[in-house]
Amino acid sequence: MPKKTPWMIATAITVAVGSMAHADWKPTKPVEFIVTSSPGGGTDNFARVVQSIISKNNLMDQPVVVTNKGGGSGAEGYVYAKVATGDAYKLTFGTNNEYLLPYVAKLAYKASDLTPVAAMAMDEFLIWVNGNSEYKDAKSYVEAAKAKPQTLKMGGSQSKDTDQTLTSLIEDATGAKFIYVPFQGGGAAGVQLAGGHIDSNTNNPNENVGQWKAGAVKPLCVFSPTRLAEGPKVTADMGWADIPTCKEAGVPIDQFQMPRTVWLPSNVPQDAVTFYADLLKKVSQTPEWKEYIERTSQTNRFLVGEQLKSFIADDDAKNKKVFEREGWIVK
Amino acid sequence: MENFASLLHGFSVALTTYHIALMIVGVLLGILVGVLPGLGAPNGVSLLLPLTFTMDPVSAIILLTSMYWGALFGGSTTSILFNIPGEPSSVATTFDGYPMAKQGQAAQALTLAFLSAGFGALVGVILITVLSGWVAKFALKFSSPEYFAVYFLAFASFVGLGGTSPFKTIVSLGLGFAFAAVGMDTVSGALRLTYGFSDLLGGISFLIAVIGLFGIGELMLTMEEGLRFDGIRARVRPRDVIKTIATMPRYWVALLRSSAIGCWMGITPGGPTAASFMSYGLAKRLSRRRDGFGKGEPEGVVAPETADHAAGSSAILPMLALGVPGSATAAVMMGGLMIWGLNPGPMLFIERPDFVWGLIASMYLGNIVAVLVVLTTIPLFASILRIPFAIIGPIIVVVCFIGAYTVAGRSFDLWLALVFGLVGYLFKKLDYPIAPLVLAMVLGDKAEDAFRQSMIMSRGSLSIFWSNGLVGTLITLGLVLAFWPLVSAALRKRAKSDASSVIA
Amino acid sequence: MISRFKAEIATATLTASLGLVTVIGALEFGIGWGDAGPESGAFPFYIGLLVIGASLGNLAQMARDRSALQAVFLDREQAHRVGSFLVPMLAFVILAVTLGLYVATALYLAFVMWRQGGYHLIVSAASGVAAAILFYVVLEYAFQVPLLKGPLESALGLY
Repeated sequence: MPKKTPWMIATAITVAVGSMAHADWKPTKPVEFIVTSSPGGGTDNFARVVQSIISKNNLMDQPVVVTNKGGGSGAEGYVYAKVATGDAYKLTFGTNNEYLLPYVAKLAYKASDLTPVAAMAMDEFLIWVNGNSEYKDAKSYVEAAKAKPQTLKMGGSQSKDTDQTLTSLIEDATGAKFIYVPFQGGGAAGVQLAGGHIDSNTNNPNENVGQWKAGAVKPLCVFSPTRLAEGPKVTADMGWADIPTCKEAGVPIDQFQMPRTVWLPSNVPQDAVTFYADLLKKVSQTPEWKEYIERTSQTNRFLVGEQLKSFIADDDAKNKKVFEREGWIVK
Repeated sequence: MENFASLLHGFSVALTTYHIALMIVGVLLGILVGVLPGLGAPNGVSLLLPLTFTMDPVSAIILLTSMYWGALFGGSTTSILFNIPGEPSSVATTFDGYPMAKQGQAAQALTLAFLSAGFGALVGVILITVLSGWVAKFALKFSSPEYFAVYFLAFASFVGLGGTSPFKTIVSLGLGFAFAAVGMDTVSGALRLTYGFSDLLGGISFLIAVIGLFGIGELMLTMEEGLRFDGIRARVRPRDVIKTIATMPRYWVALLRSSAIGCWMGITPGGPTAASFMSYGLAKRLSRRRDGFGKGEPEGVVAPETADHAAGSSAILPMLALGVPGSATAAVMMGGLMIWGLNPGPMLFIERPDFVWGLIASMYLGNIVAVLVVLTTIPLFASILRIPFAIIGPIIVVVCFIGAYTVAGRSFDLWLALVFGLVGYLFKKLDYPIAPLVLAMVLGDKAEDAFRQSMIMSRGSLSIFWSNGLVGTLITLGLVLAFWPLVSAALRKRAKSDASSVIA
Repeated sequence: MISRFKAEIATATLTASLGLVTVIGALEFGIGWGDAGPESGAFPFYIGLLVIGASLGNLAQMARDRSALQAVFLDREQAHRVGSFLVPMLAFVILAVTLGLYVATALYLAFVMWRQGGYHLIVSAASGVAAAILFYVVLEYAFQVPLLKGPLESALGLY
């Protein structure tokens, strides 16, 4: 079945049902936040920041309960949301793994089983090398990898997930070939790089900033069309804005980002979707949210409605191309 | 002595009435979540986290770590009294702690557990005070091959093929590994052994297995024997507690050895669970009273508890310095650090010495406070055992199932716990050892991941396990321990033949 | 009455079949050794084989020691006691997944206290309800840990 049709049907139904049932939807019992990662992960942080902002600013009358369902790279949480169809009290927090996971593993849910509510931020990716590494820029590193194929080790979080996809994109764009080593999470990949056990990783800013400050790792370039936002210097002579974009640095990949997304189960009233979209919009306008975005060096980008759908369709297609080339798609 | 000066400064930060009050509140709350069904340190910490957003970071971390110590002590309490480990790391405490309680020595077992835990924690804190810089650097030396070697060492020291039928030990161990393999495989990103059940996506939680095998399985045995705890109606007098305290020096060898194992496993990322199992295994092999192990030997309580807490406290330092949490609780705390505006990493020590040394100082004070608090609550906990079995029995059943549900919020886990209960009952009656199954479930997938990451790095060559002195030593040590029964038999034989040749 | 021999044979057969299930599940994911080390099925595959092998070893040992294993594993009295514990517990799990954990807790505690503890029905029922309410307050309010809920809680508008 083509991927978009069920969405449209779902939306049509929810619009119809929603307009009949409630004019103005409001939660009347506690809302559950389902986190598709284990405690301490990036998604967990995301959900808990949203929770703390809602409660601090009294943005909702009902309390929020956070539950972690990170099994199977987050699939556990999405399956849980699928089963809860029609339940507007279960908000699921994730990344683009909602629509990418079903490609690489046989799972009991389809991307279209959830209703997208909002994307709240884009997490950036960088190429990092060890602090004492001989490589000063991305170009020389990629050249070295090309000269000695399959010797340089690229670390990342999990397998067939964003980090490995990006590695594959780099390989495809430059002709280099790395050994990809999957670790349990970005933190572990960061420590392995600081200890010199791997040659590079593609961590998000937040996962490596501590080691960067100490000079144990250093960034080569960022996969963003423009440089990161100006901020205080991280090391003595460098801040986030001083990192060249990968395109500038000679790695022809324009953009690679990971959206931080929020979902509802299918068949929920359209008014509920609107309610949460408005709520999250309010969250994203608080100073606390701004502080979170700055601290984790993400890009603030709030998407709902049609914009969100077209972003998802676009991101989905881009990633699918890589998965097809690598032969990761199951069935 | 730079560290010592920093520590004194730390004490000046930590030693205020407000902070001591926070420690007592934290410890009490921790004991509560440690003892209550289905709540563990991670729940407690994540619940308190929002309260700390407005606090000063030092006060916030003191509150959270004190709660963590309290929860660890609370977890040991349920291990000893009901054979239900509150945390994975207190599984080994049940091996002798519960038999002691059954024989009416609950107070003694609890006292020993608390004191050894306190001792272990203090050794761990002293270590990180003295060696803070070195510890962080040493932890960086560890990559996948070294991780594998550490896990292998833990297995080798715990699982000797002696005792009951070796076939039964292998079955138990193998089933543990098989259960651990269910769910997402990190290295390939594939979902293994789920047989199409969504409920198996998240894998089989180790905690569910423990609740079933230990808690429910034990209850079934108790029932079969006739509806009561044997002699568990402990009459607790404060005098017993004091008397037991006086026996502590007797275990100095076990205390020192277990502290060393705990610190080592805390810094190398083996963790508290591996530490407690390894320490118990070595104590059993090296003790003069090794035959009493598993039947209520006090040393079998001292060894795992000391190692558990030594590992728990010495692991805090690599966590802060490297930014990698060693446990779910630590992960939640690290999330807290970031919300308070601190970035874990090597620079934390230089940028925020008041925070780091305030925390270390609070670990000294927090543990002393925790030991004093728990010692005074022993009579209270032990009195739970005087409740008639017709009431406490079903309550334990309810507690077990509530605990099973809260692990992941899945009703499927209720069935799983029931099945594990039946398996536990059957295995105990037929002399299948349960401990190897538990250890394999805890460390199995980690060991497998580390092994396969090493293979990716070396492109399929086993030589990576002897590629440097560190990993080579660990692996060789592990091999020696694994084949220790054979080695020692050979040595004995040789000694005998030497002796006989002298006579001849 | 079940003899130890029968119990041993049944358990060894059970573990062997678990091993077999593991082996079959593992075959789906490849069991070879490539550039990236063992494939994801390799480890479970050999573990499965090991379990099967050891279970067969157990069976062989049992067959050899058959005469020594005629002792009683579970006599009628014991079976009755285990059953009287197991059946209510099974009912508790079934109630928990259909009616929610709180209702199941109240019913289960009340039943066991009443039938097996010999307490008065009213005392038992009151204790069961009190325990369920206590768990509810502690878990849902104080610690915000949600438990499985059923139709009663929805009817009361609690969740």
